[in-house]
Formats: sequence, C-alpha cells, structure tokens
Amino acid sequence: MIVRDCAPEALRQRLADGGVRIRTGPVVNSIRSRSQKVMDGLALHYAEYPVEDEAGFADFHIAVAPPRSPRRWLRPQIVFQFDGAVPFFPLPADQAFAMLEWGLNWCVSFHCHQYLIVHAAGVEKAGRALLLPGAPGSGKSTLCAGLASRGWRLLSDELTLLDFAVGRVVPLPRPVSLKNASIEVIRSFDRDATLSPPVHDTAKGSVAHMRAPRESVRRASEQARPRWIVVPKYAAGVQTRLEPLSKARAFMHLADHAFNYDVHGRRGFELLADVVTGCECFEFEYSALDEAVAVFEALAAKA
Amino acid sequence: MQHSSAPRWRSVPPHAVAWREWGGEFVVRNERTGSSHLLGPLAGRVLCILLAASGPLEAAEIAAKLDDSGQIGMIAEALAEFHRLGLAELESQ
Amino acid sequence: MTAERAGPLLRALRRPAVLPKLDLKQWETLIREARRSNLLSRVAFDVDALRLSAQVPQQPRAHLEAARVQALAQAAAVRREIAFIDQALRPLGVPVVLLKGAAYLISGLSAARGRLFSDVDILVARAVLADVESALMRNGWASFKTTPYDQRYYRKWMHELPPLRHHTRQTVLDVHHAILPTTARLKPDSAKLLAASRSIPGEPRLRVLAPVDMVLHSATHLFCNEDVGNSLRDLVDLDGLLREFAARDGSFAQLTARAHELDLARPLYYALRYAVRILGTPVPAAVLRNVERAGPPSWLSGLMDALFMHTLDPAHEQESHGLATLARGSLYVRAHWLRMPPLLLARHLITKGLRREQAVG
Repeated sequence: MIVRDCAPEALRQRLADGGVRIRTGPVVNSIRSRSQKVMDGLALHYAEYPVEDEAGFADFHIAVAPPRSPRRWLRPQIVFQFDGAVPFFPLPADQAFAMLEWGLNWCVSFHCHQYLIVHAAGVEKAGRALLLPGAPGSGKSTLCAGLASRGWRLLSDELTLLDFAVGRVVPLPRPVSLKNASIEVIRSFDRDATLSPPVHDTAKGSVAHMRAPRESVRRASEQARPRWIVVPKYAAGVQTRLEPLSKARAFMHLADHAFNYDVHGRRGFELLADVVTGCECFEFEYSALDEAVAVFEALAAKA
Repeated sequence: MQHSSAPRWRSVPPHAVAWREWGGEFVVRNERTGSSHLLGPLAGRVLCILLAASGPLEAAEIAAKLDDSGQIGMIAEALAEFHRLGLAELESQ
Repeated sequence: MTAERAGPLLRALRRPAVLPKLDLKQWETLIREARRSNLLSRVAFDVDALRLSAQVPQQPRAHLEAARVQALAQAAAVRREIAFIDQALRPLGVPVVLLKGAAYLISGLSAARGRLFSDVDILVARAVLADVESALMRNGWASFKTTPYDQRYYRKWMHELPPLRHHTRQTVLDVHHAILPTTARLKPDSAKLLAASRSIPGEPRLRVLAPVDMVLHSATHLFCNEDVGNSLRDLVDLDGLLREFAARDGSFAQLTARAHELDLARPLYYALRYAVRILGTPVPAAVLRNVERAGPPSWLSGLMDALFMHTLDPAHEQESHGLATLARGSLYVRAHWLRMPPLLLARHLITKGLRREQAVG
C-alpha cells in the first residue's frame, strides 16, 4: 500500500495517534504529527511511498510537535522529536514540513552507520550513478533536481549511502530541498515539477521541496554502481566547464564530505578508494542549468 | 660508530597505514592518528620508501633510493611535514 | 520493576540468550530502549559473542551493525587518546591513573565490550595538578568552560579541572584529583586510591585503580553523579565489573571493608542493591547483609527506590515526560546535594538554568 491509497482522514488519524510508517529507501520512518503543514507535505510529496504495517519494524520514531513551553501559544513553534528526545532548537510552526525533512536526514546521517554516508546528491542513468559531493551553496541540489526532471533516476539529494558489501549506492529518494533562487530556476526549467509552497525566513533563506519523480520512488530498492564523481560549483555568470579532477583529490572531497568516514576507519578508506578507482572524476562550474544538464547527458551518452 | 650526525627517520609501522596511488598522487590513512592525507608524488614516494625500509633512513639515503639527490631539500621538507602529521618520527625518540 | 514487567532491553542484558526469541516488535522496542540508554552497541556485542547474528531479523540487525561499528571506532579513538595523554604527561614522571571506560578498555575488561565512550578521565595527585594542566596545555589541550563562574566552580569546589578539549582532535579530557568534590559529604581519600593503583601490563607508565577501587568508583560515579542520563549504562558497567571480580577469591570480602575505609559505604549499598534487582548481578547474600547497615534510613529508602528504579528502567523513556523528568530532576538535585553544600548548590543550579534559557531564547 502506498500513501496515496490511504483515505485522508484515516491518514490524519494515524499521524496524530501512533504514527504513520513510511518507507524511504532502506529506512522505515514512524512519523507522528498534528501539524497541517506536515499533513499537506506528506500528501504532496509522499503519495507514492510505501506505507508499512504497524505490526512491522520501524527504524526511526519521530514526531513533529509543539514544544512543551509557553511558546506553543505565543508565536507557534514546533520541535522535532526523536524517541522523545529533542535534538534541535524549535522552529516557527509554518516550517514544520522543512523540519520533518531535516529531521529525517538527521536520523539517517546520525545513525545509519551500516553505510558510508557521503553528503552528496546522486542520480542515475543506464545503471550508472553520478555523485555530486558538495557543500551547501555549491548548487548540487539544483543540478540534482534538474537532472531528475530530465529522466535521471533520483538516488538522493543529500545523503548518498554506500554499501560496504558491493560498493554500490543504496537509493534514498526523498523530496529535493531547494533554496532561494534555485526554487525559481527549477520552476522555469521544468513546468511539470511539483514544488511545495516555499517557506521563508528559515536559517537557510527560502526553502521549497521538489517532489521526487515517481519512477525514482518505485525503483528505490535498485542499487546503482558509481561511475562519475563531480564536484559542482555554482557561480552566477560563469561559463559551463567540466574539468578532470585527479582521483586522489576526488577521494579527499568524498572523505571530507562523508558524515561517518571516521566511524569506519580503514574500511571506509578502502571503500572510498575502491569507489574512486571505478569512477571518472571531475570538477564542474556552471551558472545555466540547461547547459549543465546537457553536459551530463553527453557524459552519459559516451559511457 | 655513526658515519654522520644526520637525522634518521622511521615511519609509523606499515600495518598502521593504508594508502592508494593514482596517477602519482597518494592518499594515506594513518591509524595512529585517525587522519587521512593527500600527498604529492615526491612525498608519497618518500613515505613508501620509509614504509618499506627495514631501519631508519637519512634524507640522503632516501634521495639515493629515489635516484634523485637534487631533491634532498624537498625530501627534508616532506619528512618534517610527516613528523608534524604523525606519519614519521626521528630515530632518537 | 519486576522480572515479568521488564522490557526487552533489561531481559536481554540479564540473559542475552533470550535475544533469538524476540519478535520484530520486541526488537523494535529493544532498539529504542537501548539507543536511549547508550547500550545498543553493548547488545550488538552480546549478539556477536553468542554468535546469534543470523537469528536476528535483517532490519534490527542493521541497527546493531551500525552501533557495533560506532563502538569500535570510539574504542580506537580512546586508545589513540590514551597514547597522546601518555606522551604529554610522560616527562612529569608522576602516576597517572586512568578511570572508567578508558581504564576498562586498556585493562581488557569485559565492561569495555561494546561500550560507548565520551571523555577520557584521569586521576592525579592534587599536588601535581598545576604541572599536569601545564603539560596538557603545552600539548594542545585547552579549557573550554570559559566563564569565570564555571572556572571558579570547578577549581574551587569540584574534584577536577574544568574539562579540557584538544584543539585539533576535539576530544575531551577530565583531570580529577579526587573522585568526589572537596565539598561533598563523603570523603574518599585520593592518596589511598593512588597508592593502591596498579600499572597495566605492557603499559609501564599508565595506571588503573585497584580492582576493588574500580568497583567502588563505578558505584560512586553512578550514585553521586549529576549526569543521570547514563545511569543504566553505568549500572551495566558496574555489573560487568562485579561479575569479573566475583571470579576472584576474596574480592567481595575486600569490597565492604574498603568501602568503609573510603567512606563509600552508602554508594556501595545502592550499587549492589540496584545491580541485583535490575540486572540480577550475582552477589553473595552475606555481602548484601553486610552492606545493608550502610543503607539509608527506612523513611528515605522507599523514595530512593522509586527514584532510582524509575530512572534506571529504560521502558520509561518512551512514556510521557512527566514522571521521568521529575525523577531525573530529583536525582540531579540529589547528586549535587551529595557533592555541594546547600547554599552553593542553590546558587549553582540557578546560574546553570539561566544560561540554558539564554541559549534557547
């Protein structure tokens, strides 16, 4: 059963009580909330995602709820709860869905040490994965959204999970988080893209989420072999430029952007080194999304 | 009796180091410190020589193994950097 | 909390052999309880030790694997830290005694298996404290509680330097000169602890407490410490230490005698009481009777039972916050009470509360 198959009232009820169990890639999240923003966000973004039975196993139990303080009445706030603990400071209540998304990312990056987790976007075409490691502001999410809109399978917009057994990417398709100017860029780039209404004045500026393509969600259990590592850099007005990057430097980029590289020690070193060995590595600068997408289409055609 | 008073260097034991090389550049992980490093061609080869050595080496001896005694100055710099990073230490210690 | 009502985590800690019998729902509860109590990696190690991995369903097994990997990484980091600390303090030539987790790890004790570590704690004589602090600062550690209040609090009243953080490794080191603050009501003599400390085979310069003192320190830490969040984990440590030492002849006999000698009889009473009741630690009845006399007056013991049993029960983590918060709050006050005179306590708690609110607002 997927979220779309649940009657809205039943969904709201489960959300408010014991929690709705939604599967995202390898992870089952039990989500509790009475926030209308969360309800709307789930209906918009998670319609195609599997709903798991309450009798089964949920990996994470989270809630998005008002904090236990006078602020719940003054200017309404919400907090993200993880098994009763509150890892982050509260946010204004209208940012509830963004908070849910950040919280779900935190659950994975903080706990899923069965994988090596790289702060990178990932997309796939013809069985080959393109990894885009990069700091916030590097333009990786915009690129990722652009490619996903052009038929690339979305593996993840933030958290690339690498499996130790076979060195492949484990998909974690979730809404693509877009900030500030990127929101309009994607709206223009793909008129059919489904975006949530932006929330403003967040710590990151304005934030909106683009729905993951249905196909990406359906194929979430198909792992992908890494083939290209591209370190992106968005800068207004620059020429589109794809430059080879030495594997050693690409390795350092991956290690720098891995959440749990230190946790895995030598094993993590060997995994990243193996991944890098099997990939073509580049640095990439761009300002125009359509040109950028064309470059990667060409890269995929050559492979 | 020692021939010279030049400092002699020893790397951390080979089992404490994981490394890979692509196109002359090296990445190295040191179990002793938990840190990973990017090394250029010269530094990487110097480290490999130290790792393979059965005893401590002077910079000049390393240069000889590299077939490049003109590089002694840079080799010495690399060794000093290794010391700072915890990848190598002076024999007297 | 009776045996029947114990949640899956407690049942698994008491008898790891029950793990294959858990259904998926019970695994889900166990993982949550264990994560909250910082014991998930401990469960993972128990599963490995008994070779039960194949009998754990795939979904919970992934969480155990994640926790196991984390614990291994932390143990490696602690070993590194110990080497760096040794290097920094070696020139001083003074005894440096490792405490708690670092001590269990370096001694190869079962209590270290699957344990998560945070800080490293060491004990040195008060007379050398200034030299130790200088040596550490020369080697990259710096104090990070920088408000004048915190500095004064630690140096004047507490039994340790303000925590030190290493500037590149970001690891935290706590340097103690006693195991309880000078202001505490109980006065265990550090000189005796240092005198009885043992060196570690293969590590000539580092030392650990004598086995019996290790148990007493663990008991004291558990029942006199303000950080009650790790209580069940600390009780599991204690259980591990007691079991390991139970195998040695005479250890228990020494335990009560030494406890009286070090003015730690009351913490030992609580330690044994709750280890037996919650984890089923095998303690000879004679020892329990012996230590009974050091227990609290009967009017207090009911309240203490309620507080400790509640805090130590991981099943309560998932209920509504009310009682758990109250219980923890009371224990926090109690732990401080044992450590500081009342006026100082009131002033300290108020100041601490203020700064937290400032951070959030």
